[in-house]
Order: sequence, then C-alpha cells, then structure tokens
Amino acid sequence: MTEEQQLKLQAFLDGELPEDETREIISLITRDEEAKALHAELKNTRRAIKSSEANVRLPEPREFFWSKIEREIQKLEPVVESKPSVSFFDQLRRLLVPMSAAAVVVIAGFIAYQQMLPVHSTETEMAMADSSAFTYHDYSAGMTLVWLPFPAENDLAQNSAPATIQ
Amino acid sequence: MKISFPNFMAWLIGALLALTTVAARADAGDMKLEVQLIWATNDKADPNPKHKPIAPEIREKLNQLPLKWANYFEVNKVTLDIPKGESRKAKLSDKCEVEIKNLDGGKVEVALLGKGDPVWKRVQSLPNGDVLILGGNAPNASAWLVAVKRIK
Repeated sequence: MTEEQQLKLQAFLDGELPEDETREIISLITRDEEAKALHAELKNTRRAIKSSEANVRLPEPREFFWSKIEREIQKLEPVVESKPSVSFFDQLRRLLVPMSAAAVVVIAGFIAYQQMLPVHSTETEMAMADSSAFTYHDYSAGMTLVWLPFPAENDLAQNSAPATIQ
Repeated sequence: MKISFPNFMAWLIGALLALTTVAARADAGDMKLEVQLIWATNDKADPNPKHKPIAPEIREKLNQLPLKWANYFEVNKVTLDIPKGESRKAKLSDKCEVEIKNLDGGKVEVALLGKGDPVWKRVQSLPNGDVLILGGNAPNASAWLVAVKRIK
C-alpha cells in the first residue's frame, strides 16, 4: 500500500474524496487486507477521539469573552499620551519673543520719531568780539540769520581777493 | 515652505534690529555742509567778473529774510564733509574764514574767523536742509553774508 493510498483512505474517512476515488478506495479496502486493517484502525481511533472530547461550553458569548481579554490588556498597558514637555527656557522664549518684538518696534519708532523732529530747542550763542549780534529765526523755512556788527573793510566787488571782516 | 511663528518672530526682530542699527548709524553719520560767501547789494551789476549770481535756492531763502538788498552775488563757495566730533575750516576769502564743528545731536559749532582770529562763535542745531546765515554791513550800502547750509 502506497503512501498516497494511505492518505486517500484517510480522506475517505473524512468524507473529502470525490466520487470516483471513493469507489476506488472502497474497492481497495475490500480486496486488500492491509488497507482494510488501516481503515479499521483509523475508524477506531476517530471514534475514540470523538468519545473522549470534553464538551466544554463558554459561559458567555465568544465576542464578549474576547472583549474582556482586550480590556484586561488595555488595563495592563495604559496608553501614554505623548505630551511634549515644555522647558522653562521654552516658556520664557515664548513670552520674550513677542515682548522683544514689541520693544524693538517701539525703539525703532522712537528713533524714527526723533529723526523727524526738528531740533531747534537748544541754542546757545557766544559772542567773542561783540555781544550785540542780532539773531532772527524762521523755523518754518529752516533758516537762522545772525547779523553781526563787524564792518567789512573793503568792498567785496572791488577786490579779487575780497576781505569781508576786519 | 512653512515658516513657524518663532522663526517668523526671529526674522522680524532681526530685520527691525538691522533697521534700528541703520537708523542709529545714519543719525551718527557725517555732516555735509555748503558754505558760501555772498555779497549783497542794490546794484544790478557786479563789477567783479569772478562773482556769480547765487543759486536760486539760496536766493529764495534770502528773499524770505528781512533783508533790504535786491541782488546777491556768490563770491566763493566751499563744501565741507565733517565727521562727527570733528571740525573743518572753510577759507572764503583772504580775511574771512569759517570753522565748523560737527557736534552731537545734529548740532554745529560755527566760528567766524577774521584774519585767522576767532571773532564770533555760536552753537546751534542745524538739521538737514536748514541754513544758517551770518551777515554784516559793508561799505556803499552793501553787506557780506556767509550762508551755511546742511546738505547731508
């Protein structure tokens, strides 16, 4: 008896053989003693296993049973939410960045404002020769006229190298 | 490209700091002045051919002042570049010289020198575009003027 015939005999007992092969195996069992003996042994073994199998029934539905197991697993391994820890420096930076930006804007605005302001507030005059100089301001035109009492010695137009102050 | 808020703020601060620095440097920069010796007269013609009619811009400024002269002629003109804290002299004639010092805060110290000796000194603010005019009477109902204009 070949190995293939043995496997076919096992499949016959399980009811898995097609009709033509079933006939062939039945014929083999009736004419071959070895096949007959193997058939009987497999049949007995099958019967013995079936009769000794414990008929255990779950007290609850299958889905509920597995959901309990799943819940127990989740309890044992709690999901740790990945919350990034923020350091003190980061918190300080978050606060300082907008404050610094605001401060820089204020400083830049102040400097720009200072540059735009006309600076006419502080003026001093020191007349070293004569204090009777007359000063006239025209702030709108951006002009200052200082008239000095120093007479010119020569007529400017008459000299190639004009002398204006004595 | 996605720019995060901290990166954006860092760039903003950098740009503003750069602008502030530029503004501060501009404030602390050099000063450029134009110094002119002007002869004021009621005569229509100037007997000295070397004298030139003054620039219309200065003429317009002088017309706004309470001066009685009808005509102004440029005798000499000097341009001075003065670094901050330093002084420069402008020799306008044999006897007339002006020494100007670039002071802090856009101020200038103007000293008038006659024959090399300081005869008058003044410290005042001179913002960009402003003009300081010194003047005095001269013979034949004429006058001398020294116009100091800040052009930078």
